[in-house]
Amino acid sequence: MHEEFRKLAKPYLVWLYLLAVLPAVVMFGLIFLDTEGVVIETPGITLENFLYLAEPSVLKAFYNSFKFAILTTLLSAVFGYIVAYKVFRSRFRNKFLILVILILPMWSNMLLRIEALGNILERHNIITDLLSRIGIHIGVNLKGTEAGVLIGLVSTYMPFMILPIYTALEKIDFSLEEAALDLGATGLQKFWKVVFPLSLKGVVTGGILVFLPSLSGFAIPYILGKGNIILIGNLIEQNFKEMNYNAGSLLASLILIVIFAALLAVNRVDKEGETLL
Amino acid sequence: MTEYPVAKIEDYGYKEHRFLKAAWKWVVNILFAGTILLLYLPSLVIALQSVNDTSDLSVFNKFDFSAYVNMFKDEAFANSVKNTFIVTLSSTLIATVFGTLIAVGINSLETKKRRHIILLNNIPVLNADIVTGISLMLIFSLFLRIFPYLFGLSTLILAHVFFTFPYVILSVLPKLRELDPNYMDAATDLGMKPYKALFKVIVPSIKSGIFSGMLLAFTISIDDFVVSYFTTGNGYDNLSIWIYGSIGRKSLNPAVYAFSTALTLLTLAILLAVNFLRLRKGKKNA
Repeated sequence: MHEEFRKLAKPYLVWLYLLAVLPAVVMFGLIFLDTEGVVIETPGITLENFLYLAEPSVLKAFYNSFKFAILTTLLSAVFGYIVAYKVFRSRFRNKFLILVILILPMWSNMLLRIEALGNILERHNIITDLLSRIGIHIGVNLKGTEAGVLIGLVSTYMPFMILPIYTALEKIDFSLEEAALDLGATGLQKFWKVVFPLSLKGVVTGGILVFLPSLSGFAIPYILGKGNIILIGNLIEQNFKEMNYNAGSLLASLILIVIFAALLAVNRVDKEGETLL
Repeated sequence: MTEYPVAKIEDYGYKEHRFLKAAWKWVVNILFAGTILLLYLPSLVIALQSVNDTSDLSVFNKFDFSAYVNMFKDEAFANSVKNTFIVTLSSTLIATVFGTLIAVGINSLETKKRRHIILLNNIPVLNADIVTGISLMLIFSLFLRIFPYLFGLSTLILAHVFFTFPYVILSVLPKLRELDPNYMDAATDLGMKPYKALFKVIVPSIKSGIFSGMLLAFTISIDDFVVSYFTTGNGYDNLSIWIYGSIGRKSLNPAVYAFSTALTLLTLAILLAVNFLRLRKGKKNA
């Protein structure tokens, strides 16, 4: 387009360097310093902060974070695929509207949904109360357990999986499916050898969008885990709240490395910014 | 008479899978229903709680709509709702207007520079909320000495603009790429100044992208908790921060359940109305 417009992008480049790149540098710097907050008056250079990583509680948090993130991604992929595929195969005229209605809950406040979910994960809750009136007595206590946190993570982040998978399915040319059937593939073969590989891009995008927030979130384990389950996000939040910026930066930098890997992976398949939306 | 062997369909490799297929279909249907239930369960509980007569979360007493009537009686809650809308509306507006201009700028860059800026633009999208929040807090606190009361409304809006920009840009860019480059040339050949051509020719033809970017920015901004939590200050709470605090104090005001339910129903109504109007318009044109 017109060359004169090029200067419209310049301020944004400065903005990104200032707010996205510089903080990462500051954060890496804080790892090697011994400061109080960000008051860098008498910075003592130290490697002591790395000892923090060897603490059992930190190791446990890392193990938990990756475990929950991987499980959440896998479960969301399976269930999200089912939802996206069902809507894709349905006969509604405006399928996108149906999809949006299905993920409508995503638009009410996330913390409130988690709190509501936390209430019904308790043994005695509003649903069991209603059910007990018609003679059904069930009730398990999942709040404060690993299963409870997992349910919360999956129900919160699954919409981020459904949308990209649906978009990928929508792009598949129907004549490819017809060709597969004409050439003698069974329904299952058609799905497994034609439809699924073509929708894989959506699964990968959704996977990234689910994996990263479930790896680093702290509100869901805080509310649903009742302090029994500590993830990296909780430790980072704690450290920054107690003005322990050095240890907090160390943990945040480690998350940043994972993010950086994801960024490079996305950039490898797509240099023009078409994958993430 | 000789008996000829009667060929069966199975001899030709046909396998009877009807039962298996039906069973599989049922399994998938049950999983689908379960997933939808899981997605909707929290909203159902919120709705149920909003018409509950007691604030006890473990029993349903009887229907009572006082939470709707007294929705904004609690001052802290009403304030947080007001703050949320101030932050979200202003940051969405800023992000949409400037994001569109930036996208036009990025689109006219040469390939190498464009890819560089798109790579950087992906950082706020992929970055963990907690890292974004801390990053912005660190940068803002470097300015604390010059502006001691910086944290609050201004930092919140800056932070929200920061993480909604990429979504607007990523929604507008594909539309710009699809655009016929001759439009711009035709407009300037006919004597328009480049910026006039931008607003008269380019912007009208990419407005669907601008609109979807704006919607995305609004949705992400209004629901944000983590980034807001780290970048606010001086008691300036938005809805998410207020809810988080209330959960910590175990004193969540039932009004918030009513507010959330009303908002969800309103969104649903708008969605259906827009769809209905579009259908009617389509029929008229046909």
